[in-house]
Amino acid sequence: MNPLHIVVCGSVVPDPLQTLEPVTTAAGPELKNEMLLPAVLDPWAACSLYEAAHLAQLSSGSRVWLVCLGPKAKVQQAMMSLAQKAAFELVLLDGPAHGFADAHVTAEALAAAIAGLAGLDRTHLLLFGGWESASRGQGVTLQMVGERLGITDQFQGVDRIALGDDGSFEVIERVEGGKHLVSRCDGPPAVLGWATGERGEPRNDPQMGMKNMRVLLPALQKAAPVAVSAEGLKYEGVRVPTQQRQTRIVKDMSPEAIAQELLAWMQ
Amino acid sequence: MAEDDAIAEQTPGTAAASADESVDVPFERPTVDVDVACVGFGPATAGFLTTLSRGMAADPELASAAMPGCPPQVVCYERADDVGFGVSGVVTRGRAIRASFPDFDPAQIPMAVPIRKEKLVYLLDPVGASRRQLGLRALDGLLRFVRPIARMQQDAVEIPWIPKFLRKDEGFVLSLGQFNQWVAGQLLAVGNVQVWPATPVGEPLVENGRVRGVRLMDQGTDREGRPGPGFTPGMDVRAALTVVGDGPVGAVSQQLDAAFGMPQGHERHAWALGMKMVVDLPEGVDLEPGAVFHTIGYPEPEIFGFFYVHPAKVASVGIFVPSSFDNPVRTVWRYLQHYMQHPYLWRYLHGGRLRSWGAKSLEESGQRGEPRLAIDGCARIGEGSGTTNVLTGSGVDEAWYSGVLLAQGVLELWRARRPFTRGNLDAAYVARRRGSWLDSEARVAVHARDGFERGFFRGLAGMALAGLTRGRLHLGYAPRPRRVRSLEEVYRGKLSARVIEALREDCRLRNRPLHDTVMRCCGWPEIPYDNQLLMTLQDALLLGGKVHAPAEGCRDHVRFRDAQVCRACEQRTCVEMCSGEAIHLGEDGLPEFDREKCVHCGACLWNCTEIDEEGQANLVFGAGAGGLHSAEN
Amino acid sequence: MSTETVLYLAHPEADGALSRHSLEALAVAQSAAATLGATLVVGLFGADVRAAANAVGACGARRFLAVQGPEFATPRYATDTAAVEALARAAEATVIVGAHTSRLARVAAGAALRLSGCVDTHAGSVTAGADGLAVTRWFYKQRIEGDVRRSQRPWIVLVDPGAAEAYAKTAANVASEIVTVAATNNRTQTVGLREPGAGEQTIRPEAELLFVAGAGWTRRQKDGQPHTEEAERLILDFVRASRASLGSTKSLTDISGEGQAVLHCLSHLNQVGQTGSTPRHAKGLSTCCHGEEPHVVGWRFIRERRAVNLDPNCGWARGKADVLYVADAFAVMRELNRLLAAQ
Repeated sequence: MNPLHIVVCGSVVPDPLQTLEPVTTAAGPELKNEMLLPAVLDPWAACSLYEAAHLAQLSSGSRVWLVCLGPKAKVQQAMMSLAQKAAFELVLLDGPAHGFADAHVTAEALAAAIAGLAGLDRTHLLLFGGWESASRGQGVTLQMVGERLGITDQFQGVDRIALGDDGSFEVIERVEGGKHLVSRCDGPPAVLGWATGERGEPRNDPQMGMKNMRVLLPALQKAAPVAVSAEGLKYEGVRVPTQQRQTRIVKDMSPEAIAQELLAWMQ
Repeated sequence: MAEDDAIAEQTPGTAAASADESVDVPFERPTVDVDVACVGFGPATAGFLTTLSRGMAADPELASAAMPGCPPQVVCYERADDVGFGVSGVVTRGRAIRASFPDFDPAQIPMAVPIRKEKLVYLLDPVGASRRQLGLRALDGLLRFVRPIARMQQDAVEIPWIPKFLRKDEGFVLSLGQFNQWVAGQLLAVGNVQVWPATPVGEPLVENGRVRGVRLMDQGTDREGRPGPGFTPGMDVRAALTVVGDGPVGAVSQQLDAAFGMPQGHERHAWALGMKMVVDLPEGVDLEPGAVFHTIGYPEPEIFGFFYVHPAKVASVGIFVPSSFDNPVRTVWRYLQHYMQHPYLWRYLHGGRLRSWGAKSLEESGQRGEPRLAIDGCARIGEGSGTTNVLTGSGVDEAWYSGVLLAQGVLELWRARRPFTRGNLDAAYVARRRGSWLDSEARVAVHARDGFERGFFRGLAGMALAGLTRGRLHLGYAPRPRRVRSLEEVYRGKLSARVIEALREDCRLRNRPLHDTVMRCCGWPEIPYDNQLLMTLQDALLLGGKVHAPAEGCRDHVRFRDAQVCRACEQRTCVEMCSGEAIHLGEDGLPEFDREKCVHCGACLWNCTEIDEEGQANLVFGAGAGGLHSAEN
Repeated sequence: MSTETVLYLAHPEADGALSRHSLEALAVAQSAAATLGATLVVGLFGADVRAAANAVGACGARRFLAVQGPEFATPRYATDTAAVEALARAAEATVIVGAHTSRLARVAAGAALRLSGCVDTHAGSVTAGADGLAVTRWFYKQRIEGDVRRSQRPWIVLVDPGAAEAYAKTAANVASEIVTVAATNNRTQTVGLREPGAGEQTIRPEAELLFVAGAGWTRRQKDGQPHTEEAERLILDFVRASRASLGSTKSLTDISGEGQAVLHCLSHLNQVGQTGSTPRHAKGLSTCCHGEEPHVVGWRFIRERRAVNLDPNCGWARGKADVLYVADAFAVMRELNRLLAAQ
């Protein structure tokens, strides 16, 4: 099997259990107390990283990079958990990763960083990431990074990739109605935006973590600040939607009566 | 030497390990060799690693024995999912923290601020339900009678003078979650030490009376710890020195105590459960960041409270329920809700909104609860090593300092190329600790809280006596071994035995804990839920607790050894006092554990009164992942 | 008169017709064009778009553009991006509105970049006024919403289901202008659609009712035993009889994902909530769910909500459901299935 060069694009998002609230600053909307919130690697990007690490193990000579645009302190924090789960090289661009940062300029910065990766062979390149993020949730950044790198085989909502010995692969993507679209591609380069995949979160591997950290620490220290400002984008307002309902609590009704009431309601 | 021999003869680890040891599996267990393995990333280990990391940076000659050619390999494993989780806020003098960071600027750390104003407030009972002794009722009556002279306002009296030993002069208010994140960031930026959250340590590796490192918890097991799909045996981390700073209910600490025993005369009977909320203050409340209120008197006389203000209109508010308040149905959550509604506090809190919630048990035996600080290959630091000072009400700075002192000792031994034997650790670490303010102040505090065993007034008198005589005089009461009084005894004069039995029967039929029913009968009003600050505990778990536990893949950290013992237990304080209602009554009336609600406060371990002949509680509180996902506490 | 040209972008489904979601997007495009005083152009791509063009022939578009041919029969990035780019250029579009289908979502960003334009997806609504166009969309998995304006053109906007009432005029025959597309790479071949296994139930966007199973179904019941087989039977019987869409909470799919003997009918495809889907159904019935915040965000678009749960302090009781029945879901669903079977 040919070696793979897998570049995973992904950034940090607030730990999913946090309460989020937007604030408007001179620079536009941001998350209130963003630096207070614990950060994790975006869940879909994390799935793609785990898939990448798994695929890299299947063919010798493969490499996995995580190219991340995010606030250094938060990415550093997320690495403390992530480094025990998958082996990868990190390229960190120190900049904003909140949901209101613009996808277009983010994609431009990521594509430039990937284009500059030492040792990357684009004929072996699989560009991975989440099909959306838990922050901006647009599902557009990865496509634009791919376009900028000239990759015209792209897949989104990927749940599985099966590699052939000849370098080709079969990929399944989530589509409407709970179905999967099955496609076959001649081989890299290609873009795969992952849904949850089928691999699940790997167990912590402390040995891998210790080895990884020796590579990750210099990368964290080298992180260069990136300015991400979007021309022509204006936020009129951001808010938390209010959805408080007056709940009627029914305590003493028999199952039969509830069933009848539910049936009437359904119809 | 006699003591050493006695230790060597013991079979290390057997007692506790029988409940918490890893499974015997035919898999090969991975092993890694490091120089120093730390258990738990709290303030003590943070102080240790900060000092050690700097020492390593200053001395490039220091070399690893585990990995020749490299600098010393130092790793720290933290059970919680992030370095900022599972800790609380603090009002601290911060002497040791400032000594570590001479240019310490609280503005660098979110939620940190210097203390600007400190008040000690006596709260009267505005609802008439609290269990006040006759003397206290008389005092309340007198205060109400001379209201203008006592300057009573909002059912509270601000005590005009705070004794020096209680003041936190020149200190600051911190969110320990944010502080830990900040320290971890500094450590990682330098890179001399590694900190790994979400990695619980299952047990110490003990061989021939010597600690050889730690074993990480097995992954891919079922809830009983049996191998399941994707089983990965926990790695053995072999280390010349194991540093244990896993707090008051840490799994490794418990096993070390069981294996090596406590020093003669040392015991841990005094503890408290703290519970707090971090609150967005309502519009219009203009409290200065750094304002600190310590309260006594309400919701029960024995319960201490705190309210302190962070920057950006955020406040921490909470209570400590000490073990001397030995009511079997004490529910800290309910008391916290009543506490916040006290008029003195509610004028600031009303209209506020819950940001974060959490609970933690505190080891309050101080020096009396100090374990063996040095064992061959192992040193103990932080709260679990007895650093908390119950006279000054201070623990974080003391914990930090114990870590600093150990790191100084470790650096000294490294430079001298001396091994981490108990003797060497005694000389390099324990002796440092004994000669420090940490130890001298702990000695002053040894008997400070003993009076509370005999009531509120004697408790205050005991504290004053200890503080003002620098510990030379005390009332002579000693904390009683772990016990909980009967409901009948606690509520004598308030509820008759017949009423209590009827309540018990009613709750038994409904399979509900007793606490709410009992409190209602004592006159505590219903909580007027506003879903902002006043809410059910389950809503607090969702809105402010942010509790998470792995759905599968690891053993439950709370287990019951013998169901028959639980069946026979009258009190079930483990259920009544559980901070997250994670321990609840199952269909068969026995306690059941739901780890998805557990905040790892550890109260259940202290609360289990069913102790077997070997001194083991029927409830096991072991290593486990998950817990609170808030970094604001 | 506005200088904007609004291109409505769509692709027919396998049967040659436009989906309801696509017709909702047409209503959005129409409304935006009308308010802006802009020209409306219809752009369709697929194997054969004639039927689809006729179906929307009376929508008031100035032009009807088509890219068609066998290479556009199935979704594929290279061909679809080229088609969208060609349609946008031919229409000289400044605003491009389409439905957020998997097919358009795959290519919209790439096409925007080729057009030197910009893109926004998951739009909940598009409003046009004197000061131009604004898109309201979700951030942070439906936990924050924001209104976005962009000065850059062309601007591709993909709207979520439910953004407007679907376009519903009668058909009118139109002659589409055929737009040619330059040859693209053909390194990817579409193999086909893989359907969920027989009897497998998932989120079905077209269903009226969303039925969500919570973790309580797998827990021990009154007799101290779990009854997962019965739970599975009750759930599937109900979903089949009521033609409801089947969702679940994250905790439940986490369990089933590990292959334990629990509810085999549930996988990540059923997951509703923060890490799952946010379906749009008129009604939602939650059973044995606690109503945790990360799960409830997935209910944001469910208009009428009822819940059955044994715990009166369940999260649904506090302003999340319209009605909470405090009852044993096993008993209620047994009865409900009996009533449905008798119909």
